[in-house]
Amino acid sequence: MNGSHGRNERVSAARREVEARGETFYPGASRIHLAAFPPKERWDDWVELDSRSWPERREHRYMLVPTTCFNCESACGLLAYVDRDTLGVRKFEGNPEHPGSRGRNCAKGPATINQVTDPDRILYPLKRAGGRGEDRWTRVSWDEALDDIAARIRRAIVEERENQVMYHVGRPGEDGFTERVLAAWGVDGHNSHTNICSSGGRFGYAAWMGFDRPSPDHANARAILLVSSHLEAGHYFNPHAQRVIEAKANGAKLIVIDTRLSNTATHADYWLPSVPGSEAALLLSIARHLIETGRYDREFVRRWWNWEEYLREEHPQRERSFEVFEETLREIYAPYTFEFAAQESGIPSATLAEVAGVVAAAGTRFSTHTWRSAAAGNLGGWQVSRCLFLLNALLGAVATEGGVYPNAWNKFVPRPIYEPPHPKRWNEMTWPQEYPLAMNEMSFLLPHLLEERGGSLDVYFTRVYNPVWTNPNGFAWIEMLTDPQRIGLHVALTPTWSETAFFADYVLPMGLASERHDVHSYETHDAQWIGFRQPVLRAARERLGEKIRDTRDVNPGEVWEENEFWIELSWRIDPDGSLGIRKFFESKNEPGTKLGIDEYYAHIFDHSVPGLPERAAAQGLTPLQYMRRYGAFEIGRKIGALHEDAVAPSELEDATTDENGRVYTGAPPVRGPNAVPQPSPRAQDGRRAVGVAIGDRVVRGFPTPSGRLEFYSKTLAQWGWRKYAVPAYIESHVHPNHLDEDEMVLISTFRLPTQIHTRSANAKWLDEIAHTNPLWLHPRDAERLHAATGDLLRVTTETGYFVVRAWVTEGIRPGVVACSHHMGRWRLSDTGQRQLSATVRVRSQDRRWTMERTSTVRAYESSDPDTQRIWWNDVGVHQNLTFPVHPDPISGMHCWHQAVKVTKAEEGDVYGDIHVDTASAREVYRRWLSLTRSASAHSPDGTRRPYWMLRPLKPPADAFRLPQEPAEHA
Amino acid sequence: MQPAENEPAHPLWAKVIDQSRCIGCHACTTACKSENDVPLSVTRTYVKAVEVGTFPQARRAFGVTRCNQCSDAPCTTACPTGAMFRRPDGIVDFDKSICIGCKACMAACPYDAIFINPDDHSAEKCNFCAHRIDAGLEPACVVVCPVEALMVGDLNDPASRVAQIVNREPVTVRRPEKETRPKVFYKGAHQATLDPLAARRPEGGLYAWSTQPGGKAQVGSGHPGRPSSSAAALLAYDVSHKAPWDWRVSLYTLTKGVASGLYLAAYALCIAGTLSWSDPLWLYAAPACALLFLAITGAILISDLEHPERFYLLLTRPQMRSWLARGAFIIAFYGAALAVHLAAGFTGLGIFLHAFAPLAGALAIATAVYTGYLFAQAKARDLWQSPMLVPHLLAQSFMAGSAVLALLALWLAPAAVPSLLWMLAASSCAHLIFAGAEATLVHPTAHAHLALQEMYGKRFGPYAWAGVVLSAVALAAPWIGIAASAAALIALFCYEHAYVQAGQAVPLA
Repeated sequence: MNGSHGRNERVSAARREVEARGETFYPGASRIHLAAFPPKERWDDWVELDSRSWPERREHRYMLVPTTCFNCESACGLLAYVDRDTLGVRKFEGNPEHPGSRGRNCAKGPATINQVTDPDRILYPLKRAGGRGEDRWTRVSWDEALDDIAARIRRAIVEERENQVMYHVGRPGEDGFTERVLAAWGVDGHNSHTNICSSGGRFGYAAWMGFDRPSPDHANARAILLVSSHLEAGHYFNPHAQRVIEAKANGAKLIVIDTRLSNTATHADYWLPSVPGSEAALLLSIARHLIETGRYDREFVRRWWNWEEYLREEHPQRERSFEVFEETLREIYAPYTFEFAAQESGIPSATLAEVAGVVAAAGTRFSTHTWRSAAAGNLGGWQVSRCLFLLNALLGAVATEGGVYPNAWNKFVPRPIYEPPHPKRWNEMTWPQEYPLAMNEMSFLLPHLLEERGGSLDVYFTRVYNPVWTNPNGFAWIEMLTDPQRIGLHVALTPTWSETAFFADYVLPMGLASERHDVHSYETHDAQWIGFRQPVLRAARERLGEKIRDTRDVNPGEVWEENEFWIELSWRIDPDGSLGIRKFFESKNEPGTKLGIDEYYAHIFDHSVPGLPERAAAQGLTPLQYMRRYGAFEIGRKIGALHEDAVAPSELEDATTDENGRVYTGAPPVRGPNAVPQPSPRAQDGRRAVGVAIGDRVVRGFPTPSGRLEFYSKTLAQWGWRKYAVPAYIESHVHPNHLDEDEMVLISTFRLPTQIHTRSANAKWLDEIAHTNPLWLHPRDAERLHAATGDLLRVTTETGYFVVRAWVTEGIRPGVVACSHHMGRWRLSDTGQRQLSATVRVRSQDRRWTMERTSTVRAYESSDPDTQRIWWNDVGVHQNLTFPVHPDPISGMHCWHQAVKVTKAEEGDVYGDIHVDTASAREVYRRWLSLTRSASAHSPDGTRRPYWMLRPLKPPADAFRLPQEPAEHA
Repeated sequence: MQPAENEPAHPLWAKVIDQSRCIGCHACTTACKSENDVPLSVTRTYVKAVEVGTFPQARRAFGVTRCNQCSDAPCTTACPTGAMFRRPDGIVDFDKSICIGCKACMAACPYDAIFINPDDHSAEKCNFCAHRIDAGLEPACVVVCPVEALMVGDLNDPASRVAQIVNREPVTVRRPEKETRPKVFYKGAHQATLDPLAARRPEGGLYAWSTQPGGKAQVGSGHPGRPSSSAAALLAYDVSHKAPWDWRVSLYTLTKGVASGLYLAAYALCIAGTLSWSDPLWLYAAPACALLFLAITGAILISDLEHPERFYLLLTRPQMRSWLARGAFIIAFYGAALAVHLAAGFTGLGIFLHAFAPLAGALAIATAVYTGYLFAQAKARDLWQSPMLVPHLLAQSFMAGSAVLALLALWLAPAAVPSLLWMLAASSCAHLIFAGAEATLVHPTAHAHLALQEMYGKRFGPYAWAGVVLSAVALAAPWIGIAASAAALIALFCYEHAYVQAGQAVPLA
């Protein structure tokens, strides 16, 4: 590209020089003549000065190759600086071409280089040499591993045990590739981490608008209300922080509800450190204020809420007029006075009134967000997101500038080369009948379900997922993983050692951010973009004319990537195509041959990304070349209020309208290029839902059963939860009414900005900054316990205890303690990640488990001299082991908050000690299970689950039918 | 924006750190580590956190901390070779190839922004990513910051955002009283993050998400006792800070004291007539022994360098504002004078020493007291900014010199011993008066106050008190005899060690 500029000549990136050369100037925060990035026209061969030999001007030549961060879910752009002489990656900077992250990153972006060069990473496929958990390994070839795994999967499929194959994923970081692999195999074996993460948040949003995620337009808001800490946590940390701070600088007011002083709460104009679990009450008092004072958008509510359905279903005797509905609305929320909310939340009513005024004044420029936080902590936490969105729905701040959009409108999932049909057979182990409304798979119940229901898995993949460490009740996971009756073959796909990988049969190394292909899109703001992750050395070497066979050729050791792995594995499962699987992994260009990664992505970029082929052509590139060069593409911005878009007359042929105004059409579906998952009301008489009649127009509306925003969820009413059919406050399991006098609430979910769950312990710079998780304790509680910062405390849960140090702080509500969950990483021997893990001894007898530290992190010799400079010797405490499961009976979300007793450590207690009784954990599971309303008892139509709701893999409608015989455990 | 037509020949680089935007994500920290290949255990920039207030009116205040690119940079003044230097565009840069690793820059920096890189053993710090600025690129931290809280700009360009903020908005700098004229300006920073003594040091070796680095040379962050802020302020995160100078510097003050004091004590006895101008003690023993101690002093100084093999740079490319460089010359000249003295003695030209001794004596005094100026050049260390230090060092020199000379006299000139013991008593008395004044006078800054607390407190108190008690023993020299010599020498080392270490024990960042 830069032929005319010559090669290997050092030029300035400053504005005047760049513009004189006709190149692209990237302005930075300083808004001066210095550029934030080299001009993209020079990315092929950029000459930079060495920082180490400075002030001697030693030059290095780099090729700048974009990829995407693989740490949190924000998927920010990265630019790898590939040294043209050594063909190694020197560093990662941001990618200015990325519409979400705009060239900026959090600490984890630059630290990606630590992960790549981590001396402890797994470089070769390993097979277990001893018993599971004995931590003895032998190196095997990829061929051996693939053949073994493929044969087992093939057998399971042939013997119609296909649902004994399971793929359990953490945050996927990609849009749909692996789901389609499972679909191609006909396996309903997708298992996500979502129910320990965001199901609570999702359910509340889904109840309103069908879509299960919000896309707040923070940058343009007048007021921002966060029940979250998104200035420091994923979904979408860096992109959102940029826009929240931008809005604040423009005068927006920031309201943050968080019991704990987060970095986000620090920036709040109003920090509301409410009693854990009281969030919905607090939000409803604001809603009541809007309703009582008439400061809501009447026209929006009248047009878009399903109030008529509500009146018809719940108050058939009342007149079906909007005025009557308004009166009813006032009645419903009358009890939620500021005084009531103050009593529940501990926030003074005057403060609540002031905040309500700020919310009311924001009008349609009111952006809100919650994701995990309270929605993930409390029984009924899903009502938090629902009550939060109620404020938007009242103000009409839905799909407005500065308001909240449904995520799917700000997300673009380009339609791939193949879309295999979804599996036909329902998986009872992930979607049990007791949880018909569960937002996602009941993943964290797996050990209980397999044990209780005699289930087993033949092949179990954990993919960059670490349930032993992450999930509640980790010892039960060890019990499951070490039981050959339950798990036939456990394959851990992971770039780095994890507590779960220690219990695998195969550990297969998968690439990091710069070593794998993925395409993804996230709703960071009101726009649609796609990001591309790629093995940067592959891209660089191909650009230099080399031919690369597969990604293993360029990755360290024999580290592979999942895309190619799945294609290869699928071929070995169905080598002759007789199972009908292979056809989804074949080249279209050369039928009968294996689908290559270039063809796979070229197909997507050629056919499914509007505007990309034209943009690429303008630069003389193919769409794939464009994406390899720039890493991201913006399909559009200011997507706007799609629910108001008129349905085309051609789509309204043979249309009918139901009593709610929902319009169904007989016209064939229009398959656009955007395959973003959408809820889909079940077809009526062969007609599909296409829109909703609003006034005299038929518009797109929302993908809910009514087509409107569902203030009233008929689904909830029909499936046994009538009392929660409208946004309401549910007393949490840790509500003060349910706590013993000596109990406190433990908030265990909070993140630190520098770590990301189980993924970042292999980044030394991040470990150096953050490596422990003391228990936050208010001075008043500390005084009561006679504890000072650094003192050992014993925290006793329902099923065990852990021993941790105290951090006495003004940043937490009295009566509440908090402990960040990133820490407490461990290993069983010298195998593993050594920069942030302690070596432990694990023992069990009669399901009573103990974990003791035998040694902690220390300096060690390795290929990286820095490991000898490790100065910290604390790694924190693994608290999640002591938590039993708390499945919300409706959303299925694990309710993380714990009622605990905090005492001074007892004699013999040692820092990091863990004691757990998994038998009592099972009792807790049974207790929470008894709260459910099973489909077999409550299904209104003989199905397992409301068909319209989202499900990652969605079997055909007939698989939704409940079995004739009521299930044994229902 | 186009640069103005009449733009000055050089920009004047400055930074604005907008703490009202900072979200405490530490991206700047890791971007800097990445760009500049900074090893674990040291940092060019980091994000300090302080919890301010009481629930529910509390916040976590962040302070991005780094080199201030001072207009009057104490590090460049203190650097003996010019390895730390100020560029015409205002960037305080460094050249590792000529760094001898004396750590004078670290002792001088009031912000503790300089460290020795464990890889190459040379001093380094933030230099605004000069290698990027010269290539037309913003510094790495500016580029990475998610919330655009960091900006670089030209103070000479009124259109630059930095110049606008610096000139039109309420900004502040760290420790302006140090007269360094920093060019890193803070907007919206909480005082508890700017003042290293405003926040309380947490107990138990913990911070909110990390541990306090341990180790002998570690300087604890935050105030260990009564913080200077009356708003509740608790240090929640900080990084490792190490004291630049260890026991070798305390030992060097002693050996140098002996070297200079020997000559001065002998000279004083000659003038007083107690010692004959032709006494071997004066002609040979005292100067020879002084030369020996001077050589030991040199050896200690060189061994304290991170790059001992580069010590010659002190003499071949001295940066003459540096008292370390000046001291090297003073010591060299004094050594030469002692050699001349010895040569005169041996060649029977001792008679001319009458005329030469004032010059050698002056150099001995300079050798004894220049350390006072060297310490004063360590602008960071308030305890050392004492005008009494110069006479105090002279008193210590007489104390050390008379103690050693008394031992020599016992062998070579027993008649002079009583006078030397009285000299030892008098100088010990002077030393105790200076030390007492130092300890009891009200120090003007919280920093000096805390240093003194550390000196006589748990950490260095055993040394300081041993120094005081043994000095009192030396005061009794005329009565207890020659044993006082040993007491005096040990006393001086102990006292100096406490003084040198306590001076560095106060957090600066």
